[in-house]
Amino acid sequence: MFGGLITPHAQSGKLSTSATEVEVHAELNTAKKLFSEAATSVNEPPNSHVALFDLAFPGTQPHFQGATLIPAIRAAIAFNCQIQRSSTFDRKHYFYQDQPAGYQITQYYEPFAKDGHIVLYPHDGIAPEDGNSVTVGIKQIQMEQDTAKTILQGNDTYLLDFNRVSHPLIEIITLPQIHSPATAAACVRKIQSILESINALNAGMELGGMRADVNVSIRKRGTEVDSGTGHQYHGVSGLGQRTEIKNLSSFKAVEDSIIAERNRQIQILESGGVIEGETRGWTIGGTETRSLRGKEGEIDYRYMPDPDIAPVIIGEDLVEHIHATMPLLPDDAFSLLTLKTPYGLSIKDAKTVHNLDEGERLDYYMEVVQTLESELSDSERASMPYGRTAGNWLLHELGGLFSQSEEPWDASRVRPDTLASVILNVLRKRVTGKTAKQLLANLFHGDSRTAEEIIEQDNLAVKPMSDEEYHAMVKTVLDNNQDTVRVILRDPQAGKSKVMWLVGQMIRGAEEGRVDAQKAAGIVREQLNIP
Amino acid sequence: MSLLQHARTCLANQVANKSYNAFISRATEEQLLRVVPDGENASTQRPLEGKLIAIKDNICTTDFPTTAASRILHEFPSPYDATVVSKLRDAGGVVAGKTNLDEFGMGSHSIHSHVGPVSQPSSMEHGEGQLSVGGSSGGSALAVATDQCWASLGTDTGGSVRLPAAYTGVYGFKPSYGLLSRWGVLAYANSLDTVGILAKDVDSVKSLFHAVNGYDKKDPTSLAESSRRRITELVEQRKRSGRYRIGVPKEYNTSGIDPKIKSAWRATLKALQSKGHSIHPVSLPATKLALPAYYVLAPAEAASNLAKYDGVRYGTRSSGPDTSGGVLFSQTRSEGFGDEVKRRILLGNYSLSAEAIDNYFIQAQKVRRLVQRDFDGVFSLRNSLVDEGGDGEGEGERVDALLVPTAPTLPPLVKDVKRQDPVAAYMNDVFTVPTSLAGLPAISVPVKTDHGAARSQIGMQIISQYGDDELVLEIAQCLSES
Repeated sequence: MFGGLITPHAQSGKLSTSATEVEVHAELNTAKKLFSEAATSVNEPPNSHVALFDLAFPGTQPHFQGATLIPAIRAAIAFNCQIQRSSTFDRKHYFYQDQPAGYQITQYYEPFAKDGHIVLYPHDGIAPEDGNSVTVGIKQIQMEQDTAKTILQGNDTYLLDFNRVSHPLIEIITLPQIHSPATAAACVRKIQSILESINALNAGMELGGMRADVNVSIRKRGTEVDSGTGHQYHGVSGLGQRTEIKNLSSFKAVEDSIIAERNRQIQILESGGVIEGETRGWTIGGTETRSLRGKEGEIDYRYMPDPDIAPVIIGEDLVEHIHATMPLLPDDAFSLLTLKTPYGLSIKDAKTVHNLDEGERLDYYMEVVQTLESELSDSERASMPYGRTAGNWLLHELGGLFSQSEEPWDASRVRPDTLASVILNVLRKRVTGKTAKQLLANLFHGDSRTAEEIIEQDNLAVKPMSDEEYHAMVKTVLDNNQDTVRVILRDPQAGKSKVMWLVGQMIRGAEEGRVDAQKAAGIVREQLNIP
Repeated sequence: MSLLQHARTCLANQVANKSYNAFISRATEEQLLRVVPDGENASTQRPLEGKLIAIKDNICTTDFPTTAASRILHEFPSPYDATVVSKLRDAGGVVAGKTNLDEFGMGSHSIHSHVGPVSQPSSMEHGEGQLSVGGSSGGSALAVATDQCWASLGTDTGGSVRLPAAYTGVYGFKPSYGLLSRWGVLAYANSLDTVGILAKDVDSVKSLFHAVNGYDKKDPTSLAESSRRRITELVEQRKRSGRYRIGVPKEYNTSGIDPKIKSAWRATLKALQSKGHSIHPVSLPATKLALPAYYVLAPAEAASNLAKYDGVRYGTRSSGPDTSGGVLFSQTRSEGFGDEVKRRILLGNYSLSAEAIDNYFIQAQKVRRLVQRDFDGVFSLRNSLVDEGGDGEGEGERVDALLVPTAPTLPPLVKDVKRQDPVAAYMNDVFTVPTSLAGLPAISVPVKTDHGAARSQIGMQIISQYGDDELVLEIAQCLSES
C-alpha cells in the first residue's frame, strides 16, 4: 500500500513521497511593456495599448524597456537570488493565436536571477508534517513576455485582445523540494504575498495576474534523494518520473490538483504501471487531472538566442540601490508586528493586517501607530498597548464597518490620522469604547467634522466623577452590601477579590466609562480602613 | 541631363524592360513627375534631390505594398516607412518603386518570387535563354543596370546585394553590419541582414550611403554614436600613404572558379599593382567552414523570423479555419510560402531542434567566431568591436583590404538554375558569405573583361575590417579609374 505517502518518517520501504516543483508566472507592475513603448493596461478597451512590435509587424524590432527590471530585481532580492550581471533573451517557439510572433521572448539560457530560496512557516499554511519551517530552493527567475487575451466566441472563433501581449512577466521556478500539496499551495500563496509586499505584482492570482504550473513526481521510500537513482530535475536526483500540470489559476487549484495527481500516480505505481512524462490539465472544482498531451506530443520549443536583443547588463550599483530601498518583506513585517514594541499583534491579526488589500492595510496600520506614537507622552507610551489597540480598531471596528456596508477597502474613507484620534480618546478614556464605536461609524458614514469636533459638539466626552461623587457612591455600595463588607473585614488579605467585586457593582451601576476601577478600589479600602 | 529628363528616361526604360520583372510595383509617370523638380535650376541643396531610387520589396514603404515577393504578404500595406526610406526621402530621394527579389531574400538568382522570376537577356557567349541576375536583390540590381532608376536599395544577408551586382555589372555595396538601420527591413536572418546599395558608379554609392547611414534608436542592433566615433578615431590614426596593402586569401583560389573569373581576378590585381599598391598572400583557414555555417545559422533565424506569418493580424490567410490540416496555421503557411522558403524553414527548425542544436546551431556559432578571428588576424586595422588583445591570431602580414571574386562563375542561365539541386545553388554564395558572418564591409565592383561583352558580368569584391567602409569605397573608386 502507498498510504501515509507524505509522512516523512514513515517506516515501510513501500511508502512513497511526492516531490513538487512549482513555476509561477507573475505579471510585473510596470508602466510599459517588455519590448515596446506601449503602456501596460488592465481593463482598457481591447487593442488600445499595442505597439507595432507587439503585433509582430514585419520589419519591427524589440526595444527592451530597462525600467521593467526594477520590480524584477526587487523580486530577485526578495527570493534571495544571485542577480546575474549579464543575462540574455531567447525565443521559445510555438504557434498559437495569442502569440503574434510565433515565439515568446524569454530567458532560457541565461536568466537574470539564479539560486534563491523561500522559507515557509506554519503561519504560511504549510502541512503540519513539515514542522517549523520548509526551505524551498529557487532555481531561477526569468523575465518574459505575456500573451494576448483570447475570448472564445461561439465554437470556432477567438476574439483577440493584444493589450496584454508582451506585458512583462517573471517566471519563478522552484526546485522539486516540496513534499506536500498544502505546502505547495502555501508556497504559491507566499510568492504572491512577497511580490505584493514589494509592489512588483500587477494583480494577484484571483485577478489573473499570476498563474502556476506544477511538476509532480512520486518516489518510493527507500530510494533516497541524491542516491543517484531515478530521475534528476534541476540537480535534484532520485526522483520519480514527473508530470506537469499547467495553468493553475488559484491556490486551491494548486493544492487540489497535486492531491489528485499524486493519487493518480500512486494508483498507477501500485498496480505495477509506469508513469508517463506528460503535460496534464486541471479544471477548477474537478477531481482528477487530465492528459493534455503525451510525451510524443510534447512541443520542441527550439530555443534560440534572440539576435536583436543585446545581453542585459545589471550593474551592482543598481542592485545596491534597489536593495536599500526595498519595502518590508512579509516575514520581516510579520515578526515586527507580532514581536516588537509597540505592535504586539496576535499572529492572527498580524497575518490579517499584512495580507489584506495588497499591503495597503499594513501601510495604513503603520501610519495610525506612528500618529499615536507622536501624540502620546512618554509615560503613556510606556503604559498603553497602543499598537495592539490600533490593530483591533483597524481590523475589527473599521474593518467591520467596511464589511457591513459590503464596500471594498478604501484608505481615504476614514483617514489614518482620524482613526488615530478616535483611538487616542479611547486610550485616554476621554470617551467610552461604546461611544468611540459610534463616533467611528459616524465618521465612516460621512460626518465631515473631525473626531474632536464631534466629541465636543455632541457632548460625547465622559464626565469624570468628582471626589465627592466617588465617596458618595462607595458609601452607597458599602451600605447595600454589608455581608460582603463583614467578610472583607474579617480577612482583608483574602477579601481582595471581594473589593473588586464591589468595584464591579459600582461600574455596573454608573454611567458607562465614568468609574475608574483603580480609583474606586482605593476609596473602598480607604473607607474600610484596610491596606 | 536635368532631373526631370533623367526621370523620363528611367520611366521609358521601365516600360522597355518590363518583361524582365525588375519591379513588383512602380510609381506611375504622373506620381513621379509630380515630385521630381522641373528644370535645370532645381534646388540641389539636398544630396538626393529628385533622384529615382528603387527599393527592394522587403523594405517597408508606406506608398507601395511591401510583399517580400511572397504570397503571404501579397498587397501588404506597411503602416510605416523603414528608417532608410525616411532618410532617403529626407535627402530628397524619390521612391521609384519596389523591386523583385527571392521571397524574403532567400535565394541567389531572384527566381523564387511569387510574381515570377527576374532575368536579363543573354549575351551571345552564354548561348540561348535568359540569364540569372543573381539574388536575392536581383530586381534592385537589374533596375540599376538597365537605367530604370538612378540607384537602389537592396538587402544583403549572405551576398544578396553583391552577387546580383556582379551578375548585372553594377556596384553593390554591403556596409558594415549595424551602420544602416534595419527598422522596417523584413528580417530574414537578423544577425546577418544588412541594407545594401546598388548604383552605376562609386560616387552614387557614396552619396546614397551617406544619406541613409546613421544611428537609429529604433534598431537595437544599430551601431551607437560612441562606437561610430571610436571607429572614426581608429581609422584616422592610421598612417595614410595612398598606397594600399591588398591581401589575396589563398583559400579563395579554388579549382571551382571559372577561368574567366580567375583571369579577371589576376588582371584586377595587376591593375592595382600598377598603381603602386602592393599585393600580399594571406590565409583565412576557416573559409571552407563558412558556407555550411551560414546555411545552418541563416535558416535557423529565418525559421524563427517567419513564424510570425500566420495570416491572423495581416497578410494572406487561407480561406478555411486556422486549424484545418490538423496543425494550427498550416494551411495559411503552406499556401503562403514558396518552396525555397519552406525548405529553409524546415532546415532551420531542424537545426534548432533539441536533438540537433548542439551539433548544428551551436557549432555554426563557433565557426562564425573563427571566421571573424581569421579576418581580424589579417587586417592591419583593429576590429573596434573586439577587446584589445583579442585581435586574431594571424602571424602573417597585415593588409588594408582583401580582393576576391564576388562569385565563382559567370551568371548562369535561368533554365539551368531552375534545374539545379538547391544545395548546389547555395554554392554561389561561397565568396560572399564569410564577410557576412563577420559583419564586414564589402563592395562588388564590375570589372572589364577581355571578352568584349556589352556589359561586364564579372564582379570583384573588396573587403576590409569592420567599420572601414570608406576604405572599401576608396579602393573601389581607384579600381573604377583603372
